[in-house]
Amino acid sequence: MPEEISQTRTQGTSSDTGAATAAKSPLTMRGVTVTLLRTAIVVGFFSLWEIASGRWIEPFLISSPSRIFSSMLTGFTDGDLLQHTWVTFIEIAIGFPIGAISGIALGYAFGRSKLLAEIFEPIIIALNGIPRTALAPLFIVWLGIGLWSKVGVVFLLTFFLNFFNTYTGMRQMDHEYVDLASLMGVKGWKLTFKVIFPAISPYVFTGIRTSIPFAVIGAIVGEFVAATEGVGFFIRMSAGIFKTADVFVGIIVLMIMVIIMDKFAAAIEKRALRWQTQTEHIQIQA
Amino acid sequence: MPDPAQTATESEPSRNGFVIRVQNASKVFQTPSQANLGALTGIDLDIRAGEFVTVVGPSGCGKSTLLKLIAGFSACSAGRILFQDEEVRGLNTKVGYVPQESKLFPWLTVEENVGFGLSPKRYSRADRERQVSYFINLAGLSGFEKYYPAQLSGGMGKRASIVRALAYEPPVILMDEPFGPLDAQTRMVLQDELLKIWEQKRQTIVFVTHDLVEAVALADRVVVMTHRPGKIKDVIKVPMDRPRNIFEIHRQPGFDEAYSRLWTIFRHELNIGAH
Repeated sequence: MPEEISQTRTQGTSSDTGAATAAKSPLTMRGVTVTLLRTAIVVGFFSLWEIASGRWIEPFLISSPSRIFSSMLTGFTDGDLLQHTWVTFIEIAIGFPIGAISGIALGYAFGRSKLLAEIFEPIIIALNGIPRTALAPLFIVWLGIGLWSKVGVVFLLTFFLNFFNTYTGMRQMDHEYVDLASLMGVKGWKLTFKVIFPAISPYVFTGIRTSIPFAVIGAIVGEFVAATEGVGFFIRMSAGIFKTADVFVGIIVLMIMVIIMDKFAAAIEKRALRWQTQTEHIQIQA
Repeated sequence: MPDPAQTATESEPSRNGFVIRVQNASKVFQTPSQANLGALTGIDLDIRAGEFVTVVGPSGCGKSTLLKLIAGFSACSAGRILFQDEEVRGLNTKVGYVPQESKLFPWLTVEENVGFGLSPKRYSRADRERQVSYFINLAGLSGFEKYYPAQLSGGMGKRASIVRALAYEPPVILMDEPFGPLDAQTRMVLQDELLKIWEQKRQTIVFVTHDLVEAVALADRVVVMTHRPGKIKDVIKVPMDRPRNIFEIHRQPGFDEAYSRLWTIFRHELNIGAH
């Protein structure tokens, strides 16, 4: 007989998985082992890379951690890496919020209006079938090789993820909350922002967080196609002249960008969903 | 402005004294297999202002559907429902609704939940605060104002859910098996509290339950419904005095009489249900 035991804890965000929790409690034996093993694997990987480079594999193919590190330092101190990073950041900083907000707004509208959903749903699904990065060259044609074509690609990649997640939230949401609130005479602005948005907020945040890496992908793809600056441009240029270390530097910059954005979104999510301090049901098989 | 300490909203009776008049109401659901499923047929029921009416019936007899029709969540397939002499069309914002599960808004604290129906048009800020703290107190939830529903026990959530419906003072409260999933003790305590609140406020309450003891213990009148499609089989007057003592309800004069009448009618329904 499965027995249900309720245990209350603050439900964290999706990054707060069991493994992370184990590592966060270093006092336990298990926690220590996990941390040690993880460090060993990472350190081992980089040492192997360093050793292999130049001995077994040509450095221009795989570079090496030390070369990458020094390239990064010079890139940021006297190179124009900072300028490239800034350009890519601006593309995302404009395209991402516009894409996310319009995706969320449209998802909400579809959830509220059956008519709208019935008319446009097949169209949206068809559009979603297009591999969106394939549209990047078109954006270059339409909007030029500057900032706005990249903003366009970022927007496109962000929009659909946010739209679909929000719309799913609108369909999955417990309608009794809306009915009850309406019965209490609540409508309009208050119904939207005090009832519906909180009810779908877990879905909205999933949309926002899954679309962050895609926003970066959008900017980079746009820059790969045609650009004169930006991290994507920097990577492509460096690869073209076999400055492999710089390629890795560009990749690392992008990775850090994604991590920072995700942490930022996670912090907001945690704050917004703090009411989800909820009872977790754990099934114990006897 | 309403003063919660005084007798709250009078249930505005219509000319003939009835707040709710269900007239020959039926409800048919379309099932996915296209077959029509009759949930309610030919319901006639008049409910007076200030009355406590319970509705009992075997599960699936359309008790909840009746409440949903009165609340205007869905429309009658035939017949009509008058609320204060006006036909119910669309959501009936003059009723408060307490659903089976507490359904507190999980993203709002207890005090935000309780105050949620208090529109700024009807209540000034001060009135609102007074009203909220009065009802939180009434529900025995003082000290838990800033808690989120997930942090409350089942019974506390239930109480909060009930006072959320009471707080904005709708003249009629509809309750759909609100004490269903609770344990026997908690249930009794809440029944007792509900009666105490009702004796002070005297709103009209329509209370759906499948528990015969609960139906008799709380009600002025018990409406007995038949198996699907739901019809009203009988309406029993409960001749017990008020205030009632829920904990020793069996000893109160009038209980046995009402209960055995109810059981006689109900037994028949159970037989049908069993085969």
